[in-house]
Amino acid sequence: MQWMTLFQKELLENWRNKKWIWVPLVIILLSIMDPLTTYYLPYIIEATGGMPSGVVIEELPEYAPSEVLLMTLSQLSMLGVLVIVLISMGTISGERKSGVSELVLVKPVSYMNYITAKWVSYLLLVWVSLFLGILVSWYYINILFGTLSFGDFVTTFFFYGIWLTFVVSLTIFYNTLFKSSGLVAFFSILSIMVMSMITKIFHHILDWSPNNITEYIIDTISTGEISKDLILTGIITTALSLTLILLSSQFLKRKEMAG
Amino acid sequence: MTLVTVKNLTKKYGSKIVVNNISFDFGYQKCIALIGPNGAGKTTTLRTLAGLLKPTEGTIQFESSTTNQDIRKWIGYLPQYPAFHSWMTGREFLIYSGKLAKLTKEEATKRAAELLEVVNIAKESQDERISRYSGGMKQRLGIAQAIIHKPKLLILDEPVASLDPIGRREVLGLLEKLKQEITILFSTHILNDAEEVSDELLLLHKGQIIESGSLQELRNKYQTTVMALQVEDEIHDYQTIVANLNHVRNTKIERGTLYITSDNVKKVREAILSLADQERWPITSFSIDQASLEDMFMKVVNN
Amino acid sequence: MLDINWALLAPLLIIQFILVVVALVDLIKASDTNGPKWLWAFIIVLGNILGPVLYFIIGRRKD
Repeated sequence: MQWMTLFQKELLENWRNKKWIWVPLVIILLSIMDPLTTYYLPYIIEATGGMPSGVVIEELPEYAPSEVLLMTLSQLSMLGVLVIVLISMGTISGERKSGVSELVLVKPVSYMNYITAKWVSYLLLVWVSLFLGILVSWYYINILFGTLSFGDFVTTFFFYGIWLTFVVSLTIFYNTLFKSSGLVAFFSILSIMVMSMITKIFHHILDWSPNNITEYIIDTISTGEISKDLILTGIITTALSLTLILLSSQFLKRKEMAG
Repeated sequence: MTLVTVKNLTKKYGSKIVVNNISFDFGYQKCIALIGPNGAGKTTTLRTLAGLLKPTEGTIQFESSTTNQDIRKWIGYLPQYPAFHSWMTGREFLIYSGKLAKLTKEEATKRAAELLEVVNIAKESQDERISRYSGGMKQRLGIAQAIIHKPKLLILDEPVASLDPIGRREVLGLLEKLKQEITILFSTHILNDAEEVSDELLLLHKGQIIESGSLQELRNKYQTTVMALQVEDEIHDYQTIVANLNHVRNTKIERGTLYITSDNVKKVREAILSLADQERWPITSFSIDQASLEDMFMKVVNN
Repeated sequence: MLDINWALLAPLLIIQFILVVVALVDLIKASDTNGPKWLWAFIIVLGNILGPVLYFIIGRRKD
C-alpha cells in the first residue's frame, strides 16, 4: 500500500536523523523540570547563597498537585510547542526546496497520502513523546506533591495531545504554503501567538478556542470531573486539525511542484 | 501509433511566455532530442509533459488518455539536478521509488537489484548512503528510479550536461541501450549528444518549435558543405580572391583556416584547385566537410 | 534543610547525558555540519539541554 510506503519512509527518516531519540528525551526533560525545580527551590536558594539578608520568608508556598501539573503543561506549551514546530518545519518545504519532491510526486503518488503519511508519522512521534513526558511528570508529582489519579494522567495526556495535534497540523499546513522552512516556523508560531491573544481578548465569546484546552484540563483535574467545555474544546480542536490537513492536500495539489 | 500528442501547448509565468503554442507528437521506441539554447523553454516543456506543471493552454494526450487520468504511472522523469533522500542507500531509494509507483515489495526489490546492475552502480556502493555518491552515480541512479516501474515514456532533462566525459559516455551508452525498449524524450543544449543517440529532433527556440524531423531529414534540408583551406603564408590574402569566385556564398577566417560555404561545391572546388595550380598557392590542407548539427541549428535559428 | 534524594534526580541527569552522547556520536559520524564541527562539539557539551537540541535542529545537515 502506497500510504504505508510513505509512512515507513517517514519513520525511517526520523529514526536515522535521531528525532526518535532526542525529541522524546527533550519532552521528558521539559515535563519534569518544573516539578523538580519547584520541589527543590528552597535547597537551590540555600545553595546559591540563601536569601539576601533582611528578606525573611516564612515558608515557601505549598503547591497543589494540579498546580504543578499546570507548570508542566505551561512549559510544554512554550518550549515543547517550539520544539515540535522546529522538527516539522521542513518536512514538506525542505523536500520541495531540495527538489526531491519532484522525484516523488512525478510518480503516481496521491497528494492526500503524501500529506497524511507525514502528518501521522509526526503525530506518532509527538504523542509517544508526550506520553512519556506526562507519565514521568505524573510520577514525580505523585511522589513530591501529592496524589494525582491515573484518570487525571489519562485526561491530561489525551486532551493535551489534541492540542499538540493541532500544532503539528498547523505546521504541516504552512509547509504546503512556503518553500522556506524558516517561514513555516515563523508563521506557525505567529499563528499560535495571535490565536492566544485573540482568545484572551475575546475570552467571553471564544469559550472553546484550542488555546483554552490547558485551562480546562486543570479545571477538570481540580474539580474531578470532565467538563463539557473540555470535551467541546477537544472536538473543535480536532475538527480544526482535520480541516487544516484537508486544506493542505488541496493546496499541494493545486501548487505546481516544479519551479 | 502515437504515444504522445501535444497540441497548442502554452505555458506562461505571469505575463512571461516560456512555451509558446507548441504542437508535436511522437510514436513508440523512438529517441527524441529536444534541442535548444539555455532559456529556450526545454525544461518547462518537459516538466509540463511529466505533469509537474500545468499547461496554461493546450493539451497533452498520452495514448488515448483523457485529461482526468493519472498519466504519471506511464512516465519516468529525471530532472536536470535530481535530489534524492540522501540518507537512504541507492538500493533503498530504488525500492522506495518502485513501491511509490505501485510495484509490490517483491517486484520493487527484484527490479532494484536488476537496475543497479543495468546502470552500473558498483556492488560496494549499492548499499551505501546516497550522500556519498558522485555526480555520475547520482545521475545513473536517477535514470534507474525513473524506469523502475517500466514506464512507456522516459523524460530526461539535460541528462549529461553536468557530467565529465566518462560519465557522459556511460549515460549516453545507457540511453542507446534503453531506447530499444522505451521511448525516450531528452533535452540537451549540446548538439553532439543529440546527434549521437536520437532518432528525431525537435528544435526549440524562444519557446517555439522552429524545426522538427529525423536527423537525416534535417540534414537534407539544411545541408551545406563547408570547405576548409589552410596555406603556409597569410590566409587573408586568399580570402578576397576566393570570395570573388562564382558560387561562393560566404567566407570566414577562424584560427588561420579559411572556411568557404557555397551552393555548388564542385565548381568552387575546381576553381580553387586550378587557381592553386596556376598561382602556386602554398596549400597545406584543403578539405570538404559536412556541416555539423551546430551549424545547422544556427542556420535554422537565423532564418 | 532538605535532603537531596539523588534517586529522584538521577533520571534527569541520565537523560541529559544520553542527549549529549547521542548528539556527539551523530556529530562525529556526520560528514558535514552547518558550521565548524569543533564549535558544535563545544555547544553540545557546554550548552546543557539546549546544546544538543540546537545541534539537532540547526547544526545537523539534512542528509
